[in-house]
Amino acid sequence: MKLENIRLDIDKIGICNLILDTKSSEINVFNESVINDLSKATEFILDNPKIIGIIISSAKKSFHNGYDLNYLYSLKSSKDIFETIYLLSSILRKLESSGKTIVSAISGSLNLGGLELILHSHYKISDDSKNTNIIINNIKYDLSPNTGGTQRLPRLIGISETLDLLLKDEIISPKAALEKKLINEITEKDNLISKCKEYIIKNKELLQPWDQKQNLSPFSSKNLGYFISKIAMLHAENSDLYHSVKILISCIFEGLNTDINSGLKIEARHFTWLLNNKENRSMVKTLKFGKPDTSFDKNEIESIKKSFEKNYAAEGVKLLIEGITPALIENAGKRIGFLNGPLTTTDKIELQSVISELDSKDAPVAALIRSMQKLNRNGYSKRKGFYNYEGDKKLKIWNGLEELIPSRKNQPKISEVEKRLLFSCINNILFNYSKLSKLKNKNFYDYISIKEIGFPAWTGGPFTWVKNYNVKNFIRENKEYAETLGSRFIMSENIFKEI
Amino acid sequence: MKEAIIYDAVRTPRGKGKKSGSLNEVSPVQLASKVLKAIEKRSNIDTSDVDDVVLGCVHPTNEQGADIARSAVLESKWDQTVSGVQVDRFCASGLEAVNIAASQVMSGQADMSVGGGVESMSRVPMGSSGGAWMADPTVAYNAYFVPQGISADLLATKYGYSRTDVDSYAVDSQKRAVNAWKENRFKKSIISVEDQNQLTILDKDEYMRPNTTMQSLASLDPSFAHIGKNHGFDDVAILKYPEIGSIEHVHHAGNSSGIVDGAAAVLIGNKEIGDKYELKPRAKIRSFASIGSEPTIMLTGPADSAEKALKRAKMTASDIDLYEMNEAFAAVVLRFMEALKVDHSKVNVNGGAIALGHPLGATGAMILGTVLDELERRDLSTGLITLCVGAGMGTATIIERM
Repeated sequence: MKLENIRLDIDKIGICNLILDTKSSEINVFNESVINDLSKATEFILDNPKIIGIIISSAKKSFHNGYDLNYLYSLKSSKDIFETIYLLSSILRKLESSGKTIVSAISGSLNLGGLELILHSHYKISDDSKNTNIIINNIKYDLSPNTGGTQRLPRLIGISETLDLLLKDEIISPKAALEKKLINEITEKDNLISKCKEYIIKNKELLQPWDQKQNLSPFSSKNLGYFISKIAMLHAENSDLYHSVKILISCIFEGLNTDINSGLKIEARHFTWLLNNKENRSMVKTLKFGKPDTSFDKNEIESIKKSFEKNYAAEGVKLLIEGITPALIENAGKRIGFLNGPLTTTDKIELQSVISELDSKDAPVAALIRSMQKLNRNGYSKRKGFYNYEGDKKLKIWNGLEELIPSRKNQPKISEVEKRLLFSCINNILFNYSKLSKLKNKNFYDYISIKEIGFPAWTGGPFTWVKNYNVKNFIRENKEYAETLGSRFIMSENIFKEI
Repeated sequence: MKEAIIYDAVRTPRGKGKKSGSLNEVSPVQLASKVLKAIEKRSNIDTSDVDDVVLGCVHPTNEQGADIARSAVLESKWDQTVSGVQVDRFCASGLEAVNIAASQVMSGQADMSVGGGVESMSRVPMGSSGGAWMADPTVAYNAYFVPQGISADLLATKYGYSRTDVDSYAVDSQKRAVNAWKENRFKKSIISVEDQNQLTILDKDEYMRPNTTMQSLASLDPSFAHIGKNHGFDDVAILKYPEIGSIEHVHHAGNSSGIVDGAAAVLIGNKEIGDKYELKPRAKIRSFASIGSEPTIMLTGPADSAEKALKRAKMTASDIDLYEMNEAFAAVVLRFMEALKVDHSKVNVNGGAIALGHPLGATGAMILGTVLDELERRDLSTGLITLCVGAGMGTATIIERM
């Protein structure tokens, strides 16, 4: 048996150390060649009755980083994706249910994919090195688990614990991992392999928790209430923009209604859909591959961020003056992925600072500014603005606002308000981009827009969004906006060329 | 098409739907059996002439599971040839059961059927049967699921019903129910629930709060503000209704339907079977309809279903003498009256579920009996019964006295 990415080191008593060493890569990953090797190695191990246990270890400095993203994105058809994902899942499932004891010997860092790999082992021992950490990136901005994570984690650490773990960024030390029940033991680096062997010798014919009777029905009185409320909270928080969050909770719910074997299929099917999803793919690509390799001027970025925030706030005030209801304006902002609506943002940065973006010669604008200033409603710092505040808490919209600027009778559709806000934000960001000194790479700029400036992540960045939207339509619709709304929708020749 | 004729309608009193409620000691199958036995006795029928018993029940699990309609037939010692089927259209289950029984007769596939319903909310609490609608993430996301109380508050917010509006509606409901009992207006339909020794367990609706005033209601905290704000539901509702800035939480225990136990049954047959037993035709089913509506606001279905049923009967809203619109929440009835331009003097004239309670699966059949009794008492002709239904539906039935 010829393996390129794995070494099998079998000792006299039949313990097989399966050493992961991905060829021509600094880190261990899953790709086609690795999965093939793993498949062959598994067959060999299962066919060999002399092997009593398996140690999963790494020859690299780090432990394992899950799938190679480039490989995943090279898979073309849904069939290819599903079969690949499910093949790896099945291999690990075969190993854990073979009757042979599997122990992970964790040394070096691992990400969520690496964590999924070790979850199939019956026992997980980590060394105590500073470099050994589990690094979790909030899956909201990433792909959802795909190698059994959505099935094994809730069955191992609990349902709410799984969602809490995966929906935030965290670097988990071995000690913290032990507390979270992600691993079972910490030992000194030098003892790692011998401890694993010791465990295998003492523990035979092990069953995973999910192969024993567990009471994790989503319809138990405790879990039902949790799911109903958690779904609403996640839906409310992420609108319909971040698909991996919905996929995660769906996999957990659907999987816990059945057994691990069906659960793994459910996970693979959901993941196949997600990997094919254009929005998710755009976002992940920007965030994973768009990080600038050159340094950039922090001050420049800071000034762009200010301009961006001001423009967003001002667009909201302009809509308000046109008679759009505050609710529609605020909700449109949230629905396109901003934490705060434009009017809340105006309160935050103060009306005064937005004036420069408004046409103060326009009578209604002047009247609004005058009245707000006269009433000392300049914003959050005064605890009075478009909203009322009580301490830190935002209360309802100020009820004098309707009197000041009556809402017009025919309100637009929310999608129209969303579109205008988004176009305005993109124009602002592209305009500033054309002025930037150093950074001249669309991918970098998409990344910076999300990470530094506050442009919603689901878009994949302004350039990616425009490309996905259709460049021609974007330009044409901007022209239409410019006819009625003015110069901020006129795109310069420079930008034209860039997009 | 044959005429579906209503020969009788009975109901139990509504017991408070908690452990201390009088009907808590009575199992749901017993409750259902009591109304079936009353039907048999009052019309003096040979039960082998009954083709089917259709019973509404919203939480068909545990004691209410395994087709409670068939269990009730057997428990009532009806002829074994009588089949039983349990149906669930949430709050309209009891009315839907009547409509199904009527369909069997109208289509000529049954001579005599019973439609009705049962719910022991004190023994099989709300939520007992789970459901994909609220718990399956894919379904809940797509449907923008929020609990019904949030929908009721959303409805009040969207259509501008203030706390005062909904509370004054609730006070009226209590007054009307008190007056109805004072004048014994429910006497034709109501049966006393007795034990095996013929000792009375409950013979009167026990949920009412006759002393309800605007002041007493004002002291109640909104029931759904906490879950709305802290469990994401307000935000989900606003995702669906972005024209709304914030939800006004106006509903509370005093202006929402009461949680109670009870059962009801309606005897429906064709003319020939009525003649055989010399039964007096009380009313005929003119038309009925169920519809689907937007599921997040959920409770706007009654107007749509009423209009559909009116259209089928070639009638308009003004042709209806009396309405029974289930008082799930005060705002639902306010919206119904506004949408159909119906005056409150024609709607729920003897109070409704706010004062009397809403035994989910039974209510539809109960209020059909209520409106029939009242039409007879006032010597009027036409009645329309309708209920709002979970997940955005509505069911309506039009009856006409004969």
